[in-house]
Amino acid sequence: MKGTPAYEALGQALDAQRERLLPCVHCGFCLPACPTYNRLGNEADSPRGRLHLIQAVVEGRLEPSSEAFRTHIDRCLGCRACEPVCPSGVEYGTLLELARETATQAVPPGLPTRFLLKVLGTPVLRIPFFFIGRLLRGTGFAALGATVLPSYGPFRAVRLGLAMLASTRRWQLMDSKESMAGIADSGSLDISQKSRVAVLLGCVQEGLFRRINSATARVLEANGYEVVTVGGQDCCGALHAHGGDLESARTLARSNIRVFEASGADLIAVNAAGCGATMKDYGILLEEDPDFAQRAKEVASSVRDVTEILDSSGLRTGASVPCKIAYDHPCHLLHAQGVERAPITVLKAVPDAEVHVVAGAEECCGGAGIYGITHPKLGGLIGGDKVSAVRACSADAVATPNPGCMMQIGAGLRLEASNEGVIHPVELLDESYRRAGFYRAGGVE
Amino acid sequence: MTRPLPSTVVSDLAEIVGHEHVITDPERLLVYESDGLTAYRRPPRAVVLPSSTEEISAVVELLHSNGIEVIPRGAGTGLSGGALTTPEGVIVGTARMNRILKIDVENRLAIAQPGVINARLTEATNPYGLYYAPDPSSQSTCTLGGNVAENSGGPHCLKYGVTARYVTGLTVVLAGGRIVQLGGVGRDPYSTLDLVGLFVGSEGCFGIATEIEIRLLPITEGVRTLLGIFESVESAGRAVTKIMASGLMPAAVEIVDGPTIEAVEASVFAAGYPLEAGAALVIEFDGTEAGLDLDADRAEKCCLEEGAIEVQRATDPEHRVKLWRARKKAFGAMGRIAPDLLVQDATVPRTKLPEVLAGIDDIGNRYGLKIANVFHAGDGNLHPNILFDRQNQNELELVELASKEIMQLCVDAGGTITGEHGVGVDKREYMTLVHGPAELEAMAAAKRVFDPASLFNPGKVLPDVEGEGTTKSEKILAMGE
Repeated sequence: MKGTPAYEALGQALDAQRERLLPCVHCGFCLPACPTYNRLGNEADSPRGRLHLIQAVVEGRLEPSSEAFRTHIDRCLGCRACEPVCPSGVEYGTLLELARETATQAVPPGLPTRFLLKVLGTPVLRIPFFFIGRLLRGTGFAALGATVLPSYGPFRAVRLGLAMLASTRRWQLMDSKESMAGIADSGSLDISQKSRVAVLLGCVQEGLFRRINSATARVLEANGYEVVTVGGQDCCGALHAHGGDLESARTLARSNIRVFEASGADLIAVNAAGCGATMKDYGILLEEDPDFAQRAKEVASSVRDVTEILDSSGLRTGASVPCKIAYDHPCHLLHAQGVERAPITVLKAVPDAEVHVVAGAEECCGGAGIYGITHPKLGGLIGGDKVSAVRACSADAVATPNPGCMMQIGAGLRLEASNEGVIHPVELLDESYRRAGFYRAGGVE
Repeated sequence: MTRPLPSTVVSDLAEIVGHEHVITDPERLLVYESDGLTAYRRPPRAVVLPSSTEEISAVVELLHSNGIEVIPRGAGTGLSGGALTTPEGVIVGTARMNRILKIDVENRLAIAQPGVINARLTEATNPYGLYYAPDPSSQSTCTLGGNVAENSGGPHCLKYGVTARYVTGLTVVLAGGRIVQLGGVGRDPYSTLDLVGLFVGSEGCFGIATEIEIRLLPITEGVRTLLGIFESVESAGRAVTKIMASGLMPAAVEIVDGPTIEAVEASVFAAGYPLEAGAALVIEFDGTEAGLDLDADRAEKCCLEEGAIEVQRATDPEHRVKLWRARKKAFGAMGRIAPDLLVQDATVPRTKLPEVLAGIDDIGNRYGLKIANVFHAGDGNLHPNILFDRQNQNELELVELASKEIMQLCVDAGGTITGEHGVGVDKREYMTLVHGPAELEAMAAAKRVFDPASLFNPGKVLPDVEGEGTTKSEKILAMGE
């Protein structure tokens, strides 16, 4: 309790957050927004309950290394659905990250989590890791493994992992052999009015979804933005922050701040909701760093989801892409960034694309990093509900602008042998522009 | 320190509900040490989360046969400490009993489990053109079981009445685990002894409602929502008196005072209440379209005559939702202007509103405490929110004294000590301000009929009889320890 090193660590970290913690008046308005509370009914698995446990640690009544504290802090999806319903504006996401830091300092997280964070945050490990991933995907091994492996025992996690990997491939409808190199025609847009935009490439996005990064750059250019290339980028640190490894997250944030500052871009376009939410919070992440506090705030203020940028000034209309799309909100876009309309606007800008918002789209899909692997039972329950809601749309594809959600929903559909494709909204817009002849043919993507 | 349950009882409970739904370790039990009234803290010996009437019955039978007290809990949003455990108690929570069992459109009835959230019932019945009228401000999270226990009100209860008017039947688990049906479809609850009426509002002291039959209303054709802006809460109070005396029948009349406006306008639920206003009045009329505009005009006139700076009208349904959301989320938003608050609940005759509000203001000034008022003005139901900081032990005593003075003030004005939050543990000591020994004994006798061994939510509602220990000892001032 009070006086122990573990307490002192949290004591210092969380005492500094007193202003963030105190506004909770225990009203309980967050309870029904919480996917874990809704399914378990235990208040220790509700936002109010978790805040109460954090408060108990700050007050020295609860040991941060206790099994109860670690379990319930760990079991949170981090979806932040509790934040927009909180009348007092408790910054739950920030408090959760600090609580995770303390909990993981007391007892380190499991091997899969440590491995993944190490790999993603280290370029020399990340590149071969994703190369192998693409190899497994390209050879069809991932798809095969997801089909033949049994769903019990140690195979379960491997099967899910392979299904997630297999689900990252391009949707059939857009499996175009034609490659695209640049913009042939920028229409009648007044280019002089538009900003210079840098695109965050990200770790998973660049490793498994490079096509989405390419599509992001193309649709921005097609809408008159100048896309500047920013070398030396690193992982944004989102997964590290969510996992409580705040030091690594800060290191990554500093390195990204340096290169984006140097790029001279007006805006940073992010096509992964989790990364966008973290980068918009760089100012909070580095508020104690005298050299970076102000710089972090400035960089954070230029971060936008790519759909926000596209939605901010009338979108160009491309060619028809007849299809039925189910849209699902990533939590880190809807709850953490408050972006609801923009991605839907992007999808609806495509002629003949019929867009349905998935029933319960505001609830987490259970992706939350590798929640399905670390919390198989509960993650399976939450993911299963999402997959059912997506399937009820009878859509050709599900669109959701975050790689983790794409993989989670994609894996769930694949394991149920359901055929929906999985896309990022800009992919559909990109296809529409390609069909309209906005892009030059030739070159290598 | 809380005494752990005997291990045989724990294993028997796990047998009934599954071990993952029995919480016994002291660390997790911390989460259940308070409900919405955090001035009181005490962890229970265990929390059990059953999923059916049968499971609740078996759990109650087991606990009662071991002489263990049962404390029912819904969403834990109550504001009178009704779900606070006794030192020896076990909390039986209804969080997992969250299914609507039946919607009978033709008979305008629904049957729901106690853990169903109030607003979910309205959401589920809206597609049929129906809704559930009582709308406590916590309706987005509070549960029907808790509403039954507290006989909850809400802004629109001014016209539509409180929970008791809508509960037509109950399945109840009584002491020892006996399951009984009270009232119900085809049985006029008022044709015999009205046991449903007796049970609603019994604050968990008689038993646990496990199925609730509820009367639904058809959605009204039209609605008009007005926002009156006033320089002071007293002039807003006078406008309320004038509106009600004019013969108008508003669906709701709510006052939001200056400090509350400050809190809520700083929140995500900001609705454009002017920050410089001393008070805002939310007035709503509903019913058939014809005549609504006339009613709204008359109410507007009343406001202007009492010095309203301006009177706005909701321009569209979204604007109306915004105005209401700001009102209903006000309690939760208080965290923006103070770390802690104690929300009081008392009722006074409407005509006394201006003088009582002035009196509360005076009490706040004398104790140096900020008091924010947000309340159901139409039926004189006050909610002074006393703001404080728990780190300051001295301030807590002042809150206690100020609360008591406010209660006395309301009683002296011809009012009573609660409007809708219940007595719970917080108001027990005030019961003698309004009830004589004979009335209190009648209540105690009713409790004995349902719960002879006093094993359901003991230590609530009724004040301690002499020799049983004082109320003060019940108050756990765990703050700042």
